[in-house]
Formats: sequence, C-alpha cells, structure tokens
Amino acid sequence: MRFAVFGLIMVVVVGVLTTRLMYLQLARGGYYAGVAQENRLLQQPLRSTRGLIYDRAGRPVAVNIPSYAVTITPADLPLPQRDAVIDRLATLLDMPAAQIGQALDRNAGRLFEPVRIAGDVPGDIARIIAEERRRLPGVEISDEYRRQYEYGSLLSHVLGYTGRVTADDLMRLGPVGYLHDDVIGKGGVEAAYEEALRGTYGTEVVERDGSGRIVRTVQVTRQPQPGDSIELSIDVEMQRQAEQAMQWAMDIVKLQRGVVIVMNPQTGEVLAMVSLPSYDNNLFARGISTADFESLLHDPRRPLLNFAISEQYPPGSTYKLVTGAAALAEGIINDRTTLDTFPYMELGPNRYYDWNRRGFGPLDIYGGFAHSSDTFFYQLAGRLGIDRLSDYAHDFGFGARTGIDLPAEARGIIPSNDWKKELFNEPIYPGEVYHAGIGQGYNATTPLQVLNAYAALANGGTLYRPQVVRRILGPDGSVVRDFEPQAIRQLDIDPKILRTMRQASREVVTSGHTGNLRDLPIVVAGKTGTAEFGTRNAAGVIPFHSWFVAFVPGFGPDQPGDPAKTDSELAIVAFAYEANARGNAATEVVKYFLQLHYDLDVDLRRPDLLSEPFWGGN
Amino acid sequence: MSAIRVERSEAAAWRSRPQAASWHAFDPQLAFYALALAFVGLLVAWTNSAGAPLEPGSTFTRGLMWFAIAIVAFAVSAAIDYGWLRSLAWLVYVINIGLLVMTLVFGSGAAGAQRWVAFGAIQIQFSEIAKILMIAVLAAFLASRRDRIGRPATILGAGLLMAPPFVLVMVQPDLGTAIVFVAVLFGALFMAGASLRWLGLTAAAVVAALPVVWFQLRDYQQQRLLSFLDPTADPLGSGWQVQQSLIAVGSGGLWGRGLTNGSYSGSDLLPVQTTDFAFAVLLEELGFVGGIVVFGLFLLLIWRILLVGWRSDDAFGVAFAAGMASLLLFQVLVNVGMVTGIMPVTGVPLPFITHGGASLISMAVGLGILQGINMRRVARPDW
Repeated sequence: MRFAVFGLIMVVVVGVLTTRLMYLQLARGGYYAGVAQENRLLQQPLRSTRGLIYDRAGRPVAVNIPSYAVTITPADLPLPQRDAVIDRLATLLDMPAAQIGQALDRNAGRLFEPVRIAGDVPGDIARIIAEERRRLPGVEISDEYRRQYEYGSLLSHVLGYTGRVTADDLMRLGPVGYLHDDVIGKGGVEAAYEEALRGTYGTEVVERDGSGRIVRTVQVTRQPQPGDSIELSIDVEMQRQAEQAMQWAMDIVKLQRGVVIVMNPQTGEVLAMVSLPSYDNNLFARGISTADFESLLHDPRRPLLNFAISEQYPPGSTYKLVTGAAALAEGIINDRTTLDTFPYMELGPNRYYDWNRRGFGPLDIYGGFAHSSDTFFYQLAGRLGIDRLSDYAHDFGFGARTGIDLPAEARGIIPSNDWKKELFNEPIYPGEVYHAGIGQGYNATTPLQVLNAYAALANGGTLYRPQVVRRILGPDGSVVRDFEPQAIRQLDIDPKILRTMRQASREVVTSGHTGNLRDLPIVVAGKTGTAEFGTRNAAGVIPFHSWFVAFVPGFGPDQPGDPAKTDSELAIVAFAYEANARGNAATEVVKYFLQLHYDLDVDLRRPDLLSEPFWGGN
Repeated sequence: MSAIRVERSEAAAWRSRPQAASWHAFDPQLAFYALALAFVGLLVAWTNSAGAPLEPGSTFTRGLMWFAIAIVAFAVSAAIDYGWLRSLAWLVYVINIGLLVMTLVFGSGAAGAQRWVAFGAIQIQFSEIAKILMIAVLAAFLASRRDRIGRPATILGAGLLMAPPFVLVMVQPDLGTAIVFVAVLFGALFMAGASLRWLGLTAAAVVAALPVVWFQLRDYQQQRLLSFLDPTADPLGSGWQVQQSLIAVGSGGLWGRGLTNGSYSGSDLLPVQTTDFAFAVLLEELGFVGGIVVFGLFLLLIWRILLVGWRSDDAFGVAFAAGMASLLLFQVLVNVGMVTGIMPVTGVPLPFITHGGASLISMAVGLGILQGINMRRVARPDW
C-alpha cells in the first residue's frame, strides 16, 4: 500500500517536470531558440545619480548637469575605417588622434563594451557627430551627468572633485561594483563621503542583436538608488568673506599661501575654510586635460593642497596658550604671580632673545600673554620641562589629527624626550625646551589644530572634532544622518585657568599689541603668532609666517561680549605664509573678515602695515 | 531458485546470522539504469570540457576517474555484508558528524559558505557522503524499532538522530542538503511503517516552524528564495542564472542542438553549468527527447530500488531502499525544478548528471548496499 503511494508520488513528480519541459522546450521552444541564437542577453549596470551638496543655508554647491559623452564600440568599427573615424573624431573633439587610438587599444578584448572617448562634449559637436553617424560607425553619443561646482575655486579644497577611477582605485573598488569608466570622489567631501554620495547601482538585463547593439531592456533586475545629498556646515557667504579678506592681504603682501578657518566653538562645525591659492575643481569635473593637470601639479604655490589641514607649520606665539595653561595648571605660577622679563636669557654659551630686545620688566600671565614676552614663557617652559609641556599640548589636540571629515589631514609634531630619542637618539636639550615653549623649534601644527585648541579655550574646555558636514539627506529629503557635535575630550585643565587664559587673550587685543583691533565695535579675544622658519634672507631677516587666532565672546556689535564667559559661537584663525610685512598680516585678515561678517560701517584696515616690509622686532 | 525457497522457510533462523551473498540475486536492471545515467553524466562532462575533453584535469577526465572509482566502490559495497552497517551504525553516525564538523572547520566554498574540504587538488563535499551515511544510520534505527515502529517515539527518535547533521549542514550553510535530509527522513519513516497520524502532525509542525528557519537563513539564501518568488528582486544574480538556464533549456526544443553544439556549454553565459546547472546543458543539447530519456532512467532506477525494499523481509532493507528512493526522487525534483525555473536555486545536485565525485561515489555505495541487500535477502516472489 505504502509502496503504491510512493510510486504515485514518483509518477506525479516526474509528470510535473515533464509538463514543465514540454512547456519550455516544445511550446515556447521557438521563442527561446530565437533569444539564444540571434540575441544575447547581457546584464549591465544602471548607474545611480550622485547625491548633491548644499551649504548650511541650503545653497546648492555641487550639482549634476546633463552632458554628452562620445563612446566607440570596437565591434562596430570595421578595421579599414578605423583610422578615418579616429581622425574625424580627433578633429571634431579637438583632441590628439593618438589618444583615441590608445583608449580603444586599452580595452582590447572587450569588443562589445563601449569605450568612453570624451565627456562633456558641447551640444553642437554632439549634434554633428550624431548627424555623421553613417560615416562614423561604432561611434555613439550618450547622455550622462557631470558634476558642476557652482562656486568653483571658492570651495575646491572643501569639496574636492569627481573624476574617473584609476587602475589603482579599480583594484580596490572593482569587487564592490565600480566600473572601469566609473566616477569617484577625489579629495574633500566628495572623497570623504563617497559612499553616501554614490548611491547604489542597479542592474538591468538587456538584449543585444547579432551585431551586439543593445536593442531593448528585458528586465530591470534592480533599480538604482540615487545617492544621498550632503549639507555642509560651511556657509558660502562666510566662505566668500574669509576668502575676500585673505585675498586682500595676499595681494598687498604678495603672500604665497594663506589660510582662514572659521568655526563654531560650541559644536566644532567649520563655517568657512579657505586655503589660497586655490584651483577650479570644475576643471576636474569636466575631465582635466593633461597639460592643465601638469601645470597645477607643478605650480610652486601648490594650489592643489589644502593648507588648512594638509601642511604643518610652527605655531609661534599662538602656542603660548599651551605653555601658559600648563604652568598655571601645574602650579608653577598663579594668575597673580609676576616674573621678570629680560632682553634675553642665557643657557651656557647661548643667548635666547626676547622679540623685544629691551625686555618688558615684571609681568604676570595677562601681561606676558598680551605682550607675548618670549623670556616670560622661556621661564615657564624651563620649569615645566618638555614632557609636561608636551602632555598639555596633546591635551589641547596638538600632535594628533583632529579627525575632521576631510581626507589628507596632517598630524603635526609636538616634541618630547621620547619623540626625540626615537628620531635622533638623543634627549631634548634645555634650549629646545625654550623654543618649544614659544611654539618654535620642532613644533609643527596645522592651522586647524591651532583653531581647534582656541575653540576649546573659548567654549570652556571641550575639544570637539571639527566637522564640515552637517547633515546627510536621503533622495527624498529625509534626514539620514544628523550632525551631532563630537567631543574628542574634556580638557584636563581647571575651568578657572581657562578663564584666566581667555581674559589674557582679551588683553592681547586691549593692550594694543594687535594694531587697532581694539577699536572694533565688537569684543574680540585672541593671540598673534610670528613663527620664524628657514634661514636669514639677504636683508638679514629670518622669514616668518604670521598667525592670528581669535574668538568672539558673546554676541556681536550691539551687545559686547565678556571673554570670561564660555558662550562664543565664532572662532577664526588666519595664517599667512612668509608674511614679510611690518604689521601682522593675519591680524589684518581677521580684522577685515570681522568687518565683513558683522557688516560694520567702520574700516579699520591698515594696508600701510602690510605694504612695508619688516625690518626687525615683532 | 529452489535453494532460495529453502532459505525462506528458515527465515527466522537466518536473520540473526550473517547471510551468504548470492550473486544469482544480483539485480542487473538496478545496475544497468545506474550505469546508463552515469554514462549520460559523462556525455555532459564531455560537452562541458570546453572543447578539450581529453586534456588532463578536464571535467571529462575527472568524470572518468570518478566513474572508475565509483565502479569499485559499488562492487565493494555489494560484496561486503551490510550487516556490519547495522551493528556499527553508531560508529558510522559519529564518523558522519565528524566529517561535517571538519567541513565547518577546514571547509571552503563560494559566497562565504563552507562546503568543501580540499585534499590537494581534490575537493570533497562531505555532505554528499553524509546523505548516504544518514540513510544507513536511519535504516539501522528503524530496524531496531521494527516491533514498535508505529509509536510516536519512533518519529521523535529518528528526528533527533537527524537533527545534528541537519544543523551542521544548515550552518555551512547548505540549505539544499539540509532539506534533502528532511525529505529522506520522511520518506524512510513513511515506507518503514511509521504512524501516519503522527507523521502528518510532524509534517504540519515542520511547516509551522518554517518562519523560524527563514530568519536563520543567510541573506543570499533568502534572496535566492525571494528571487524565485519574484525574479525582479534579485541583487545577487540568481535570477539572472535562472533566466540563462531557461533560455538554454527552451532553445533545446524537441531534439536539442546536438551534443557540444549548445551555445551555453563551454561559455560563461550560464554560470556553474558544470555543477548544479549541468542538466540545463543536457536539455539544450539533447532536447526534450534527451530529458525524457533521463527521466525514464530515473523512474526505472527508483522502481528497481523500491523493488529491493519490497522483496526484502528485513526492516533495514525496507528503510534503506526507501531512503535511497526518497533521496533520488527528491533531488531530481529539486534540481530539475531549479533548472527549469519552478524551484528556487539551492545547491542540490542531480545524481549521476551533476559532476562531483562525492555525489557519484555516494550513489555507487548506496546502490552497492542495495545490491547487497538484494543478494542477501530471504526471497519473496519476484514481480
């Protein structure tokens, strides 16, 4: 009985399968034979559209615009006509014929895969090519999107650019679905947020005819998912003001490089980040020519580098924040202790000069910081020793990447005994401790590190991770990721000490050390820096960079703030590379930026301080 | 035949003693159908050898090697008294679990799965061997309970016996083989005479447990099942594979395109054509007629296997034959169903046709044991 049931099941199973075979092979056999013989199915990717980028006010800064690309399908290009077609295309597209030939040869073996010859082809050229298609077998015009950066060089260092994947990229990204002619973010936000911006590619099954031409889409097996959009914390308006201020100073002093960064100290949001000279990232988005790329790459002013984060410089006197706070925290001085200052200090046979060759007489921390007395801070550094000094520097975020969401950030150097032993196999010498105390010698920091340390000072002691992106938005506008301030750490320094240093920073301005910054109708606190580097020039002057890092406590023009409070929402750093001028160029830049930003109707700029070269002194 | 009749009257006395094999009772049909199927498998290996079937290391030469080994395995399994399988069933069981654990520890495979263990250039899929070993273990268990076969505890015991290998295969993960275990379990229980009511209830419970199993599946397994239900939702391309398979099968028509003339054999358009989709190549090249011949051979083979069980007065023989028959029938259903697009894509081979040494040798051993059962049986009248 059970044998019979099993037999029945067996017959039913084979019956079902036979019926299915009859349907596929007999009833539909003709159809499938057609598909198999004359047509080939091909699975191909469907590209997603790249997410857009907006500034914090919602202004689009990176968009996609439709453009034409020219491709050649090798299988459709008969060999005898090859040279003629390549020559004609070379003329139309204004590119070397050899380049087209090379592109075709690189793809040898993949006959049915269209080879991309040129992108961003002007509409009239595309129309001519389309009209001449009989004379140009295998050549196709395809629609694609290309990136357009609405503000060009203004935001290049923040945004980066998109370009074709390289062979190296493909080794790494081919397995996750990148195509041989794919577009990828390079540098800046485009690279840092590549995954979110790219979206997810889909796939479709298409049918090709005998000659390999795609005749129809059989089935979209997976819909592409557009990339997410990004909202920057950068404000284009502030970015423009920062650039205008720095450009003004650069033109007068003939600066080679300049940086301005603006940040909200309460959150770590970067509101503006200017690194000059810049470049036009639209050149890259259009497909940069080899000549243009070479000239950018070999430009001695190095416009492709973002000096705000990718290069490190001696911080100079801005670093006295670390030395002063460390000395207060370690009980070496209190805020009433006065120390004598001198024209120079002697260590063995060496003299360590103050920038003021007359000395200042007795100073407390407020005066020492305000006048930036070097001998005052030599004494503090000497008593702290290099290792304690280095610990506080690390606490303020020096000597480590801030972790900003941009690629290629430099780490900086903070010397310590261990560091020097590892590198030079000798300990730090006492004179080097003096230099470290005033941000010279081995010390190297990025402008962003300097700003971030002062932002922590301004907000009462929280070191934030700087961020340039505020929100990630889905294709439908929903918020995928919201900006959260990310604290790196709480400074291991008593808030009272930070308050002292904030007030000392205010004295830097009120004492008149900063030109006429005190005449601004807003309360500003900050610190200048003059960082010597290299060797004496022909005029006997050691070249120097100038720094100014500032924060605006409280409110603004109408309600002057109080530097004792921790409510600052604006911190600025300006860095001027090799700023050979009588006045501090960076201070002038910050002053001008504040005038623009608060739309002040005073003009306190002092171009006279910048147009004369420096003859000595600080 | 007269000698056998004498034995029948003394059947009760014989049962506890080793029985002498009688080559007279060798079932030539059972061997013939299996050989014919293995021959068809070699044909497919030939056509899948990308134009150089005689090169060392080609699918065909490896197929020939496994075929030779399978013949030996068949003969040895038939000659050795299967009685030891019953008395040493626990040892077989332990070895089986050991092999599956080894697969998990040393195994490798596609898409993050651990299915094969490599010995030099040879990869062995122990789960194929496990299928036969579990049939033997199951048969021994059912034979030991022949007097209480109708009790629910029989079903529970068999289920518990099957659970460890099921889980071990499931985590490889190899959903197909795991389901084959379940099919064999039910087939053997049913044919051995388990309580129909309890069997039905158990089946209902298994169906009820499916949602739980679903969430244990790997993403790609879920996707495969989903892509079977809805071929447009297919991130991993198994829908593409099925699409290609359907074109291959459909374009075969009544007579096929002729051996080695298929557009898909030897090309990369049909993924894994040398393994789980081998039957698609056969259907394209040998057509509907070729497919029907293979179906016929499978039907005849399963019929002869059932006959071994029918003629055996021995509970072990019945259960073993039932397990083998279930194994074959279920794998045919799942593999051919997959190739023709009416079953989801699972890694279940088509016995004899799919190239794979472990599968072929397991079949040979199983059929050898069946011949042994046949040759040592206490005779019943032939059909």
